Amino acid sequence: MKLELLLILILFLVGFWGIVGKNNIIKKIFGLNMINAAAVILFILEGSRSGADAPILGKEGLHIVDPVPQALMLTAIVIGVCITALALALAVHLYRVSGSFDIDRIRDKVHNEN
Amino acid sequence: MATPKTRFGKIWSKAGAVLSVAAIGFVLFPIFLADNPWPVEARDYLAAMGQAETGAVNLVSSIYLGYRIFDTLGETIVLLVAVLGTMSILSRVESLVDDSPADDAGKSGADKAGDALKKSGGFSLSREKRHSHTLRTDLLEAVTGKIGPVILIFGFYVMLFGHVSPGGGFQGGVIVASAIVFLTLGNPGAGTLLSNTRVLSTLETAAFLLMLLLSSSGLLFGQGFFGNPMAGAENPEVYIIILNAVVGLKVGASLGFLCITMMGGHK
Repeated sequence: MKLELLLILILFLVGFWGIVGKNNIIKKIFGLNMINAAAVILFILEGSRSGADAPILGKEGLHIVDPVPQALMLTAIVIGVCITALALALAVHLYRVSGSFDIDRIRDKVHNEN
Repeated sequence: MATPKTRFGKIWSKAGAVLSVAAIGFVLFPIFLADNPWPVEARDYLAAMGQAETGAVNLVSSIYLGYRIFDTLGETIVLLVAVLGTMSILSRVESLVDDSPADDAGKSGADKAGDALKKSGGFSLSREKRHSHTLRTDLLEAVTGKIGPVILIFGFYVMLFGHVSPGGGFQGGVIVASAIVFLTLGNPGAGTLLSNTRVLSTLETAAFLLMLLLSSSGLLFGQGFFGNPMAGAENPEVYIIILNAVVGLKVGASLGFLCITMMGGHK
């Protein structure tokens, strides 16, 4: 097992800890972003093992990397941005309704109203 | 509180979180242990045929604007949906803040939060509210106002040369979006034309319409949906350049719109 893979696993687990272990919903959204980043870095790293040059043709004797994971991760990054924006908008809305970013207080508020 | 949190309950929930992180780590560990060689068939095929089939020297561009163009179309639709969702949620927040009664005696925490939001001008950008925002300083405004146009030009460069160099529509679009944010921060008060959310949403919808028109333009030349109409011509990369520009405009307008809406500059 290589060191960089271990670092990516740690990044993923830190992000997951942010989602399940933190009460602040902004920190949960940060955790979601870190998981997204870990997945993107993993694909780029694994794809880069198949060559040494950027996948841009035009010169002779290039030993290019696989462009497929790079193109797919482009998609993943944009989708991640969309999810973050939507989640932040929901967080603002929750703050307006409940007066707090703390998930426990929001839950209590919802329980009290029902 | 209906469900008072005991100290034991807090420790219990933290223990559950630690346990779930350990479980996820246990499940994912084999993925990181695996040492399979990366399959190179796709890479070899693309290196041999990618430029001839799509016209792009940059193979990443040739994938997301050629082989997987439906993916790009779906992605622009997802962006559109994200903008619509954020818009509708945030505009509801704004209307809630505006309508909250000022002379309510028994105020709950939510109303107080709304008042606090109202007092600080929401997430306002206007000049008179500047002193309530510690992050907005004269230095920031001077730097972002000067550097914004340069970044805008760089964004368009990355967008338009995406077929021959590292870059492309998505990357250039994101740079354009950050230029839009810089221009908005650097020109408080009236802002520039690009800080106007109406202009941005018009740009975005126009880019989406253009993309749909481009997608069917190949049909007139005997190609399929999203076929390259200049496939047999001298410069097949022209289609890639136009698609890159359209995707870049779409992404830049969408993300700029999202950022400006989040900063409270929505009109």
